[in-house]
Order: sequence, then structure tokens, then C-alpha cells
Amino acid sequence: MRLKKVLALLLALAMVFALASCTVEQNPTPTGGNDPGETTPGTETQQVSIEWWAFPTFGNATGYEEELIAAFNEVHPEIEVNLTIIDFTSGPQTLTAAIEADTAPDVLFDAPGRIIEYGKAGELADLNDIIGEASGDMSEAVLSACSDGTDYWMYPLSSAPFYMGINLEMFEAAGADQYLNLEGDRAWTTEDFQNACKALADAGYTPGIVYCGGQGGDQGTRALVSNLYGAAIANEDMSAYTMNSPEGVQAMTLLQEMVDAGYLDVATDMQAAQELEMFQTENCAMTFCWGTSNAISYHSDDFTQVSVPFPSDDGVPELETLYNGFCVFDNGDQAKIDAAKTFIQFICTDDEWGPKSVLQSGALPVTGTFEALDLYAGDEEMQLLSSWTQYYAPYYNTMDGFTTMRTEWWNMLQRVLANGGDPQTELDTYVTNSNAAITG
Amino acid sequence: MSKQAMSQSPVLRRRETVVSYLFLLPALFFFVCFVVTPMAMGVVTSLTDSHMGGGSFVGLKNYVELFQDPVFLKSMVNTVIIVVVSVPVVTVFSLWVGSAIYEMRASARSFFRCVFYLPVVTGSVAVVVVWRWMFHTYNGLFNHLLTGAGILDRGFSFLGDPRTALACVILILFTTSIGQPIVLYVAALGNVDSSMVEAAEVDGATRMQIFWRIKWPAITPTTLYVVVITTINSFQCFALIQLLTSGGPNYATSTVMYYLYETAFRQYQYGYADAMGVVLAIVIALFSALQFKVMNGGATE
Repeated sequence: MRLKKVLALLLALAMVFALASCTVEQNPTPTGGNDPGETTPGTETQQVSIEWWAFPTFGNATGYEEELIAAFNEVHPEIEVNLTIIDFTSGPQTLTAAIEADTAPDVLFDAPGRIIEYGKAGELADLNDIIGEASGDMSEAVLSACSDGTDYWMYPLSSAPFYMGINLEMFEAAGADQYLNLEGDRAWTTEDFQNACKALADAGYTPGIVYCGGQGGDQGTRALVSNLYGAAIANEDMSAYTMNSPEGVQAMTLLQEMVDAGYLDVATDMQAAQELEMFQTENCAMTFCWGTSNAISYHSDDFTQVSVPFPSDDGVPELETLYNGFCVFDNGDQAKIDAAKTFIQFICTDDEWGPKSVLQSGALPVTGTFEALDLYAGDEEMQLLSSWTQYYAPYYNTMDGFTTMRTEWWNMLQRVLANGGDPQTELDTYVTNSNAAITG
Repeated sequence: MSKQAMSQSPVLRRRETVVSYLFLLPALFFFVCFVVTPMAMGVVTSLTDSHMGGGSFVGLKNYVELFQDPVFLKSMVNTVIIVVVSVPVVTVFSLWVGSAIYEMRASARSFFRCVFYLPVVTGSVAVVVVWRWMFHTYNGLFNHLLTGAGILDRGFSFLGDPRTALACVILILFTTSIGQPIVLYVAALGNVDSSMVEAAEVDGATRMQIFWRIKWPAITPTTLYVVVITTINSFQCFALIQLLTSGGPNYATSTVMYYLYETAFRQYQYGYADAMGVVLAIVIALFSALQFKVMNGGATE
């Protein structure tokens, strides 16, 4: 018995010791109400170390983040920034695990979809103070993308539309270029799109592939469906998903008919990345997931890649938007929160590094100040994209139930386009399940 | 004093016991910290609606919902299909290959062991990339062969068709699962008492009789290990599905492990995901217990 007691004691001590060593060291600095960037008397030399996790929005291994940190440290040597680049495949999982283990970074460079969810879950420090200072310089659309309606959780850096890409040579060879509008804003109609797909298919090309093997790049297929007949993805006050409207059903019916007729392909085993590879390797004539970063990643010198907006029945597209921005995690240390806010203000608003960062992200500025700098002077493609900001659709990525809606979306596409499901029934199921996630 | 008498001394026996426990302590510590504690936490969490930002006790609500969730039920059926198909196929094929190559020359045996073990040591991502290319609808090897032979008019979406997607997953799982069992069987067959085999041959026993009467009983513990490990690995099939099909088309290849991942890391519903984990653990335990029972605990007699 005595031996067992001794062993039990040893085991308990070992566990306590291990748990104590596993405990995350907490900075004992008391929380305060310091304004970011403001130096409290007597704390000028206090060193603060913050963790910055970033998706590779500034490019893969360009070294830009390191340059940025070095420039920041020239101004703020008291703030040490430790960088970790996370990838788009395993990054979200890594973040979730870190948040639940209380080891989340201090700063994250991401997009509103995840950031707003983290904010709603109480994981972030609100950015009301620093956004408030800059709000007069940003549009309502930009501001709403950074907020859950109550607080601001993301500080925006840049934005860009999502659109379609086409292989001009294939269109020309098939005589489908007659249906394109390559003048002005390049807007085209649903009828043009149908005719172009038919011409391409008749010429032996694969016109386009409606990918639905997962949620990667699903904004592209959603934009295609919503634009064809003007179906709204969500209602005006962003309280419910509404794609089972007559316009949505009409669009899905059209796509189903086009797939059945061989004017479009459906791929239940592909996500956007594979569809983009098919476009890049000239195995299909168009992609539904073109954007500023994909135009770089999937560039080809072998053919002419032309950006066009999604086709719509009235010729006025509504484009999905990508926003790049930063959030600050509330790790219980006000000094780190303030340092993090100072850092993201430097990246987004510094006279030199703000515009540089916008350019490095390959997207368009979101503030009037940087727009006035005409950062993309002489770049016709970016000028065109800049003109498309007038077509930005209402931003629904910050809605409750967004993640569930995404899963429901590609499964709905599979049921309608691959399994011959009834568009109305399947859209009803998609909307019902998505809205159920809103009400929890 | 004899050695035997010394070992029976209470003091020495206690000292040996202490030393044994001390040797066990590090392993026990890690087992408790990283296996038992997370399992217990998982069971507790499964009784809550834990999600990102909080959670409260909900009793058995998650379990009730689980058995009304058509996606979970479909995932469970898919998982069981994978196990029921892959475990016997992997075991029989491994035994067959092991029996065939253990009698070969050492160099030939090593060559085949390497060939079959290669998919095991190759990363899942690399394996999936290669298979994905072979199954590719437009440029895939299989479609090139089938269209070239005139069997198909145009590319067939093997991974995108609900009728073939799960079979493709099982095929890939098979190639990555047979390596270890083959190596184990070759080693186990090498340990079979050769004098008994020779004696049986002298007595005129056929090859089949020698296998079933002498070799099979000797390798039963290995077979039990192979069956249990393959069962557990098949139940936990996740990476292939995540990388290859994302559970599609229309959940045709979704497994419990994949759905659990989706629920926890995409939907942030930790309580519900943990309930799935608990159910999966119980099912695996039941399958394993059944296998132990059927195979008499791996006893050689």
C-alpha cells in the first residue's frame, strides 16, 4: 500500500510539474486604456513582443514581410514582431487549434470571412478606436466588410473583385469572340455567355467547368449563378440567404440544361485550384475564379488571358469582393494589443509602406488617400479592375452561418448539376440548411 | 543462498517492483497526459455545445442529434464499407504476397518488400497527387487508356461519380495499407519452426495442409495484429479523403473522421464533433473486441 502511495505521489508530482511547464507564460502587465501608439510616461523603453501570422497574400517567400518589420522597427524599436507565414490549406486548421489552445497570434493578416467569425466568438480585440480615426477615408462598403454590425474587427488594407478569365485565342478560333465585349467595362449578357459556350463546345473545346468538389474558390460559382438572372445571395439586411428565389432557380436550371447539352462541364472532383490549372493548361476556355492573385499564380504566356466580369441578364454585373486586412487577437495583454494596433496602422497607413503594402498585395487601395495616389498609373488591367469597384455586390461573407452556407453550396451544385436534382428542391434545401445555421 | 531464494525475498521483490514502476513511469506519464486525459476531455466536451467562444452543458443532446443527422449516418455507413472491404482484402492479399516472397532469395525478398512498402513511406500528399492525376477526367491515365481502347467516348469522372468515388478511395487506401502487413507476414513466416514443416513434408503433407496446420496457427498473433491495425486505420481514414474528394460527391466518400474534422475545424462545433469521436471510438472498440473474440485473442494453440 505504501509503495502505491509513493508511486501515486510521484505520478501526481510529475503531472503537476508538466502542467506547470505547459502553461503559457502570461505577461503580468495590467490592462489599461492606452491609445495605440501612445507612449505612457515611464514606459518608453518597455519592450513588447508580438506574434504576426500571415497568409501569403504578399506573395510566396518574397521577403516583403521581413522588410516591413525592419522598416517598422526603425520607427518602433520597442516592438518586436515575430513572423509566421501560414498557408491557405492548413492555415485555418492551425489557427483554430491555436485559438482553442490560447496560443493565438497577436496579429493576423487574413480576410473578413474568418476574422469576423473570430470577432463574434469574442477572440479578438475590437478596432473601433483605430478604424474610427480612418473611417472618413473609407467607403461604407469597406467599413461594413470589417464589422459584424456592432464592432470593427478588421483593419482593411486592400480589395479586389473576383471575375472570370477567358482564353481569347480559343474564343477566336471558335468564333465565340463575337459574343464578347472587350470595350469599356467588358460587361456581357447571359445570352452572350450561352452563345459563346455553345460556339466553343461546337468547335470541340471545353467551354468552362463548374467545379464543385469542395469550397475552394466557391465564390466564383456563386457569382456565376447569382449574376445570370440577378439572384440575390442574401437579403438586404443580411439576415437570411435567399438564393432559392425564382431568379436563382432560373439560373440553376439554365446551368443544368447547359451541362446536359454539353455546353458546360461539371466537375464534382475539382475545386477552383484544379479548374484554374485546366484553364492555365488550355484544357478549358474560361475560368470562373479569376482574380488578381490567381492571374499571377496561373499566368501563362502561351495564350491571351482576358479578364471579364460575370455575365448578367441586364449587362450590369455584381462582383464578389476580396478584402485583405488585419485583426488583433485579445490575448489578455493590453500592451500587446496596443503594439499590434500600432503595427497594423503602420502597414496600412504609413506614407511609404502603406501604398507599398497595397501594391504588394496586388489589389486596390481601400482609402481615398491612397486611391488619389493612382498607384496603378499606366497599368491598364488594374485600371479596368478599379473601374469594376462600382459593381461590387453586397458583402455577405460576414453573415452568421457563412461557413455552413459554403459547405451547403457546393453540395447543392453537385446534386443539381451532377445528379440531376430538381433546382428548386435543392436550392430550398441549401437555403433552409444555411439559414438554420444563422439561427443556430 | 540460491538465486531463486533471493528473488523470492520480499525486500528484493519490492525493490524490483519499484524499479519496474519507475521504468514505466515516463511512458505512463505520457500515456496519461496525451491519451487518457484528452480522451476524458473529449467525452466531457461531447456533453456540451462547445463552440468557438464558449459552450454549455447539454447532456446527451449531441448524441441524439447525431443519430438524426443524415450526413453522419451516411459517413458512418461509408466508414463501415471501407472497413468491411479493406480489412479482409488487405489481410488476405498481404498474407498471399508475404507467403509468396518469403521463400524467395534474400535479394528478391528485399526488393518486393521495398516495392510494397514504398507507398507507406511516401507522404499522403504525394500519393494523392499521383492518384488524382491517374483518375483525372480530362488528362488522367485511366481515361486515356479507356478512351484509347474505345471503351469510353469521353473522360469519366471516377472521383466525381458517387458510384465509383468510394471504390477509388478504397483502392488507394489498399495500396497504402499493404506495406506493413506484408513485412510483418514475411517476418512471421520466417519464424515458423522449420523442423515442423520438414517433418510434415516427410510425412507427406500437402502445401495447403502445411500452411493451415502449421504456418497459420504460428502466424495467428501477427494476423490479429494486422487485422486490428488495419481496422483502426480504415476507421480513421481521413487524409486521403480530405485531399482527394473532400467527402464528395454529395457525401459519397465522407467518413466519420472527415465529417468530424469538418464539424470541428470548419464549423467550430467542438461538442458535436467530440460526440462523433466518442461514437467512433466505441465502434472501433466493439470491432476490435469482436476480432479478438473471433481470433481467440491471437492464441497460437
